[in-house]
Amino acid sequence: MDFFVQELVNGVTTGALYALVALGFSMVYGVLKLLNFAHGDLYMIGAFTGYFVIQWFGGPSALTIPVPLLLVIMLVLAAGLAGGLGVAIERFAYRPLRNAPRIAPLITAIGISFFLENSALLLFGGQTRVYNTPDFISLSSGLSIGPVTISTVQIMVLVLGAALMISLQLLVNRTRLGRRMRAVAADREAAEMLGINVNMTIAVTFFLGSALAGVAGVMAGLMFNQVTNLIGFIVGLKAFTAAVVGGIGSIPGAMLGGLLIGMAESFITGYVSSTYTNLIVFGILIAVMLLRPSGLLGRAQLQKV
Amino acid sequence: MSIDQPPASPPPAGPPGGPQVGADEWVARQSHRQEQLPAWLRPAQQLAGRVGWWPRLAIAALVAAALPALGLGGFQLQVGINALLLAMLALGLNVTVGWAGLLDLGYVAFFGFGAYGFALLSSGQLGSAGIHLPAYLSLPVVMVGAAILGLLVGLPSRRLIGDYLAIVTLFFGEAFLEFTTNVAPGTLGGANGIVGIDPIQAFGFQLTSNTGYFYLLLILLVATMAALRLLDSSRTGRAWRAVREDPLAAASMTIPVSRVKLMAFAFGAVIAALAGTVFAAQQISVFPPDFNTAYLILIYAGLILGGAGSITGAVLGGLVVVITLDGFLRSPTEAGYIFYGLIVVALLVKLRPWRKLGGVVAATVALGFAAHAITGAISASAVAGGPQSSGWIASAVRDWVIVPASPKAAGNIGFVVLVCLLIALVQARGWWRTALLPPAIYLAACVWEARLVAEPSITRQILIGVVLIVMMNSRPQGLLGSRRVEVIT
Amino acid sequence: MTAEREPVLALDQVCLSFGGLRALRELDLHVGDREVVSVIGPNGAGKSTVFNVITGIYEPGGGDVRFGGRSIAGQLPHAIARLGIARTFQSLRLFLNMSVIENVMAATYGGTKAMPWESILRLPRARREEREVRALAEDVLAFFGQRLAGYRWDQPAYSLSYANRRRLEIARALATRPRLLLLDEPAAGMNPAETHEITELIGRLRDERDLSILVIEHDMHVVAGCSDRVIALDHGVKIAEGGFDDVAGHPAVIEAYLGRDPGALAEDG
Repeated sequence: MDFFVQELVNGVTTGALYALVALGFSMVYGVLKLLNFAHGDLYMIGAFTGYFVIQWFGGPSALTIPVPLLLVIMLVLAAGLAGGLGVAIERFAYRPLRNAPRIAPLITAIGISFFLENSALLLFGGQTRVYNTPDFISLSSGLSIGPVTISTVQIMVLVLGAALMISLQLLVNRTRLGRRMRAVAADREAAEMLGINVNMTIAVTFFLGSALAGVAGVMAGLMFNQVTNLIGFIVGLKAFTAAVVGGIGSIPGAMLGGLLIGMAESFITGYVSSTYTNLIVFGILIAVMLLRPSGLLGRAQLQKV
Repeated sequence: MSIDQPPASPPPAGPPGGPQVGADEWVARQSHRQEQLPAWLRPAQQLAGRVGWWPRLAIAALVAAALPALGLGGFQLQVGINALLLAMLALGLNVTVGWAGLLDLGYVAFFGFGAYGFALLSSGQLGSAGIHLPAYLSLPVVMVGAAILGLLVGLPSRRLIGDYLAIVTLFFGEAFLEFTTNVAPGTLGGANGIVGIDPIQAFGFQLTSNTGYFYLLLILLVATMAALRLLDSSRTGRAWRAVREDPLAAASMTIPVSRVKLMAFAFGAVIAALAGTVFAAQQISVFPPDFNTAYLILIYAGLILGGAGSITGAVLGGLVVVITLDGFLRSPTEAGYIFYGLIVVALLVKLRPWRKLGGVVAATVALGFAAHAITGAISASAVAGGPQSSGWIASAVRDWVIVPASPKAAGNIGFVVLVCLLIALVQARGWWRTALLPPAIYLAACVWEARLVAEPSITRQILIGVVLIVMMNSRPQGLLGSRRVEVIT
Repeated sequence: MTAEREPVLALDQVCLSFGGLRALRELDLHVGDREVVSVIGPNGAGKSTVFNVITGIYEPGGGDVRFGGRSIAGQLPHAIARLGIARTFQSLRLFLNMSVIENVMAATYGGTKAMPWESILRLPRARREEREVRALAEDVLAFFGQRLAGYRWDQPAYSLSYANRRRLEIARALATRPRLLLLDEPAAGMNPAETHEITELIGRLRDERDLSILVIEHDMHVVAGCSDRVIALDHGVKIAEGGFDDVAGHPAVIEAYLGRDPGALAEDG
């Protein structure tokens, strides 16, 4: 039972990360109907940003600034960089293809993902970079409820993840910007005719979604400690799965999907074997797609004739 | 409206960017297109138009068959084999992506399935004594297996349109890698792969030399091209393209859309698996990373470069990609030919009039020497690095490019700046674009000499990514395809 | 009315809802042998929905669709097309990047049987079918005379003018060898001369090709010129049926087109 609860906690934390990446992915899909394969690589960029911020301020064991300040700088920089990069990608690679055949932006997205991965390899090298989180955030300072421990980093991830998701949900449902985003997602041309600046709205959506991926990258770096140029690919896949399982285009769906995938992974690793984790997650995806193609919280779309 | 307004310019004669409503203008444009060719090429074109497709294919095959006789070295022969393999794979991918319009991102797994299937049937891996089937048994078994696998993977396409299918197939490719790496290491060899695979053998005859595999692949490639050409003009080919164009209309015109899609999947899978068997036999060993996403993207780059939807395009794209990347990007000197050659060709093709072209070239050269001299005068170490490449190009540009003593860090910064500069170049219009061109070319040369030449394998991957992005944005029909028109609903 | 014989197409109490919206309510509709029936009604009346139900794109929520006496409700679109119901689309859904003749030949898929390997090896059955298909396509295109004449056959469909695209859609539908032809606004976007031509064409399709035809059309000249019978729909309900003059003058139809109180509308200007 304790083991179960511990795995549950780990699963929820990982799930929160996946949910953050899936959120951005789902938002972008919502406004552009584009699977942004490069989304996972923005997560990778975020993770690298966090790593270099730590190095900049003296390295993990000899920090020159207080830890909370360091965290804020990491998160803000990662969000800004990933967000900016996301906007740039949209502006220069996707916008010209908005009226192209469906397959063109998808292939472009694959190209961008490949480009980013290998540019990172060129710039940062192929070796694994390590955050060394325990050097500046003590492992023992977390919560202990009986035999179950929740580390400080996990608490941070959960709190920050929940806060971001709630604020995003509020942003989309309660603000003018959110209304514009929903309008563009529903019908781009109609939105344009109603005077909505569609390009601007799409750019903002890309910024928000990519920034979330960047933040998730930093948190993953803190939690898993390892950063390479390839971490984006597999997380990207998991985020696709989360978004699709939850219902692509739906924000609560992405959260639910992320949590489900995180927990499934955690339990499979804990109870079965880590060898089969990805294969089983893949199986879940296939099952959901075949049984409920619109996802758990998505709505089936009417075919227009 | 003012009266002085100049008369509206006639619509551009180029390929249509969207559905055109109005007069039947294709006939007019077609004759116009022929006139654009240089005069001395026109008889050749008329002759080519009169010759059917199969004499052309035969001539191309004969030319290719003569290559090994010209005394290709071992390395060139291997590049040739790789190129034929990729051409074959691009050809199969063309069926699924180019004709049926299904984005199959797990395609490389079928290649892997063929390779692993052949490896298991032709090595000591299965059972105590192993299985050593002759090719006339193992190849059909593998191909039938691939067809069934293709049908299974394609099954979701019955319910899933475009995007979802891409995800499912992408996962399938990943799952294949995971499977071969982690599951049943005793049989599949895990990360150590399968080694000691038999060569292709039949009727007591064994194919062991690379020359032999070159010819085998050439024969298979030509046969596949011919088969697909015949299939393209049959009811199946028409149904594939109809489904790509408009699935709903296709269904209303008696075409069973799901079945036709599944057939496209299976056909692509069989061709990929066939390539896989030859790959395994020629390499004598298979490892999971042979079938990773990077190779998938290479196949896509070949197909997209040549032109999805065109048989010739897919084959030429595959050949060009491998010959460029494997053949020339290995040695820094030859890589330099490609790099500088591409810049020169791009300038020659894109920049008009000649005066402007001359100005840009002169400005680039002058900019380089000036920058080198000034930087050298300020700090000697800033130009101490020298080109990382070798050969006459390196000595020619030694006093032109700036390569600092620590080329790595400077090259990295230069790379980031270069990417930004190129983006700006794409966005800039008119005079600004011309003005940005010399610094962009110069910076590209500096980054090339400082960093990219020293990392050929990474440069290669970056180039593949760039090919996909640039082709999709500037020429989605590929170098040889004709532009498609699509109504967005 | 053709009461004695079994009609070619019969919709019996067909219902369809999208969520809360009831698109069709207990709709009865039949088309007799070699009869041209027009469906009219204001936008959103459910005319195209009727077509989508007949061709299997939507499955009826209630009631039955019978074609030649057999129920076809719930069958897949391609199966229904094979049974002999062909259609055109209001929004023109040609295979734009295929040539004109390939558009027509593609529609013969269900009527041919050659497997891929037969086509690759050019075995006798594949060769014979290819010849027949080609002949059928040429015959169907020849029906449109100079409009889709031979020199256009190898052009891509996107190169055609709007009116020719509409004609090609009809030609493509004919290539499925239908018994019943559904035409969704065949005269939309055409000039008066072309509209007149379409009206004559519909008559020729019935007389020369022995087709039963169901037409959706807004242009009342076409409706008046080609229809044996007219059905008026509003909000998914049949509000009138009969000869053109009866239906066009029917108070319910006028009300559907002009609103509840035509007099008040006229006063407002």
